[in-house]
Amino acid sequence: MKKIAIGGGQGFWGDSPDAALHMIRKADIQYLSCDYLAELTLSIMAKQQVKNPKAGFAPDFRSRLLAEGGKEAWEKHIRICTNAGGMNITGCVEDIRDWAEAEGMHGYKIGYVLGDSIKDQIPQLLKDGWTFPNFDYDGDFNDIVDKIYNCNAYIGHEGIESCLADGADVVITGRAADSALFLAPLKYEFGWANDDWDNLARGIMAGHLLECGGQGAGGNYMYDWRGVPRMDELGFPIAELTEDTFDITKAPDCGGVICEQSCKEQFLYEVLDPSNYLTPDVNVDVSHATLTQVGDNRVRVGNIKGKEKPKDLKLCVGYHKGWKTVSMLSFAWPDAYEKAQYCAELIMKKMQRRGMKADDVHISFIGINSLHLGVADMSPELLKNANECVMRIAVFSEDKNECAKIIPEISPMQLNGPPGASFFGGRAHVQEVMALWPTTVPRDAIKIEPHVLEVK
Amino acid sequence: MAEIYLNDIAHGRSGDKGDTSNVCVFARKPQYYKIIEREVTPEVLKAYFGDMVKGDITRYEVPSLGGFNFVMKHALGGGATMSLRLDSLGKSMGSAVMRLKIHVEDGELDE
Repeated sequence: MKKIAIGGGQGFWGDSPDAALHMIRKADIQYLSCDYLAELTLSIMAKQQVKNPKAGFAPDFRSRLLAEGGKEAWEKHIRICTNAGGMNITGCVEDIRDWAEAEGMHGYKIGYVLGDSIKDQIPQLLKDGWTFPNFDYDGDFNDIVDKIYNCNAYIGHEGIESCLADGADVVITGRAADSALFLAPLKYEFGWANDDWDNLARGIMAGHLLECGGQGAGGNYMYDWRGVPRMDELGFPIAELTEDTFDITKAPDCGGVICEQSCKEQFLYEVLDPSNYLTPDVNVDVSHATLTQVGDNRVRVGNIKGKEKPKDLKLCVGYHKGWKTVSMLSFAWPDAYEKAQYCAELIMKKMQRRGMKADDVHISFIGINSLHLGVADMSPELLKNANECVMRIAVFSEDKNECAKIIPEISPMQLNGPPGASFFGGRAHVQEVMALWPTTVPRDAIKIEPHVLEVK
Repeated sequence: MAEIYLNDIAHGRSGDKGDTSNVCVFARKPQYYKIIEREVTPEVLKAYFGDMVKGDITRYEVPSLGGFNFVMKHALGGGATMSLRLDSLGKSMGSAVMRLKIHVEDGELDE
């Protein structure tokens, strides 16, 4: 019976390439899919591209992963799918072509999928009556339309599958949905129909369990993090599918764990409604799914159902919202928290006197309540005996100059405030704040264009 | 009757979609599922989080996995891009849920 094994090589832009390289060297896989894009990544890439037209993609896919393992993957017929193209797919493709030529990889086929970036189509869509409704907040899209950095549709598997059918050894996309990078090879290999919803849903869940890399194999693992073997050599998960079975496992000779609990934690991660997990390819129902340990580091996934794909595609719209700055100052025992709190009060009094116009201020105390905020333990004994505490003041303003006003007021508190204040990390900077506008676009507004380029 | 942390009988993971926090919670043993079902309702979590979570909380049950998915709207101070919080992605929302104190009957954990 035909069996296809696919590895999840990357959890985000900036993830370690070690596990992917290990899989290329040691695992019996036919495909490796690498997710580089989180919700905000495209906005960051779009900003980089404004400064440098050659930027706008994840260069480390080529400079780290392909440079170290790309040729070996090609020789072993391991085909790679990735959304590392970001906002500059052709730039990413040219970079890979130059590398493959230099490596003498004649005949290496680079597939790429264009069409997800539709910023230029916004005026026409507005004219056609599409309002880009915001699903989280009230607001009029027309108010942000001049501030948009990027506008990308979450596209499905179609373009990637087409490139694979044309023999691509590597496929580069922009905002393809993370899970589509995994569904595409599985659908291609098994010849699933476009409306074979149950099988498409299986392919999507294979992707879902793999698209966060190490998180699917014992990383960020609440159940028993102490018990994860060789976490310094954490393997990333591998999905093995046949027509009848769907297993999660990992490469030989690496760290990590694949068990029911590790799979569970990733299974519902960011899924929202388990009966209606919406992807561009299929509406997935995992509300009756099962996970069963069937071997050493091997879990079988069962009872995944699919329903017809959504009519519209999710859009990732990133736009300029304003500016923020974060300032910090540390204090030590005794009364570290009380001193830090008093210091924050003093600074805010000064800022009031200076007339700082902030749209939002968030004050918290690292070591005490900066993570758990209102549900942190604030018992008097704990506060009284804290060894140390870092005051943290974050300011947001639509006006960059207003935001910057607080920056020079922090370090003077070492000499002018409560005792023992220690300033670290240098003066704070004002950072641009980009926001997301969660909305959809009609499917027929997106024209997906697959291409394949062969290295001479 | 005893008061314990949810952390004593459950595990899970938190993630984000914009300003929405998604926390999945699984029973550490099958018999703990019904305790979580009884003790960790959306109303309890809403009261527990107070100002931290400004929107609705929905609980989805997945008994075949012995777990629940909690979806909390307007829970991350604006979300990854906008939030002024240190943990703008809500990576620690999972452990924040786990420090909820719940009530168990005598002997209920031993069944």
